[in-house]
Amino acid sequence: ALSASRCALATVPLSAGWLPALQLVRRGSKAVTRHWKAMHFQRQKLMAVTEYLAPRPAIPPRCLAPRKEASEEDNGYARLLRRQVEEVFQDNRMIAVCQYNSMPDEDVVLMRRYLRKHNIEVKFVLNEIVRPVLSQSKYKNLLPLFVARNILLVSPETKAKEMLRVLKRVPQVNLLAACIDDTILSKQGVENFAKLPPLEAAQGQTVGALALLPSQTSSLLQCGSAHLTALLDQHIRQLQAGETGSPAEPTPAQGLGAH
Amino acid sequence: KKMASKIRVVLRPVKSIVVRFCPFESNVESTRKFLGCINHKKIQATNRNCEVTADVRHDGSEPLVDVMFADGDRLIMKGANLTTIEMLTALGSRCNAKELKEEQKSKKKSP
Repeated sequence: ALSASRCALATVPLSAGWLPALQLVRRGSKAVTRHWKAMHFQRQKLMAVTEYLAPRPAIPPRCLAPRKEASEEDNGYARLLRRQVEEVFQDNRMIAVCQYNSMPDEDVVLMRRYLRKHNIEVKFVLNEIVRPVLSQSKYKNLLPLFVARNILLVSPETKAKEMLRVLKRVPQVNLLAACIDDTILSKQGVENFAKLPPLEAAQGQTVGALALLPSQTSSLLQCGSAHLTALLDQHIRQLQAGETGSPAEPTPAQGLGAH
Repeated sequence: KKMASKIRVVLRPVKSIVVRFCPFESNVESTRKFLGCINHKKIQATNRNCEVTADVRHDGSEPLVDVMFADGDRLIMKGANLTTIEMLTALGSRCNAKELKEEQKSKKKSP
């Protein structure tokens, strides 16, 4: 209908030399086009007036003191891991800290299996979880160890020799230190500990060493009287031999006099 | 900024690497990370004959990286005040220089 009215305007009787300023053709673009179509001027004005202006704060934020984001790290997972680490430290007698350099997975599984045979468990730990746990417990001196990737070898028994043997086969895991029965040992200390004889043998050795001096004293004290008894026995035997055969010899009496 | 694990070092001219540190000291972090990076699969794959040994002591000595090259050169890096990336780039540049020398030598010999 609009285009028809425009056509009607065009056909109004005109004077000879006047052409309409606006020649609206029927073949015009529609309202919805595939190209960008220029807005009507009134619409342009409306859009300009109603443009969005962002609200600006009275004081620009960089003039204010920086707000410290309180890091709420207490998500449940971290708490769970921390609790596990605490339990590990309480339950086990031997805890060895090793540096873990990347190993092929099969080797990791094999190592775990060999250590499991000796009741040693392998635990992968994250430094950021272990550090706060350690700083609050009594193991503060283990803190500088937990840098770079680490694993913990924990066990309720103290089989240092077997552990060292397994670790020797794996070059990518380096033993740094161990905490055995609440005693922190360096690598050298662990090797010495492994070389120690088992507890019963050590106890036997101590008892033997302690009993050595009194036994020496008693043997010294008994020395004189034992010698006397031996000489008297000898004398009796010789007298008995002499009764059956030759006469007794005076030497035993002289030996007694010399004493 | 480069990540230490992204630096690729070609270990072909290297015979052995000994990393010595005392874990209870506080300046060993970069040396330990260096050891961890060197033991990565891809870097180890460049030279299977290179032996990487870690020497863990407790005598308060400073962290040390001792690299023996196949042509007899020796590189000693004292890691107390070095970062991991610096150590890796230093080692990498020397390895590359040696590789180039080897290639030039082999090119001279072949024709």
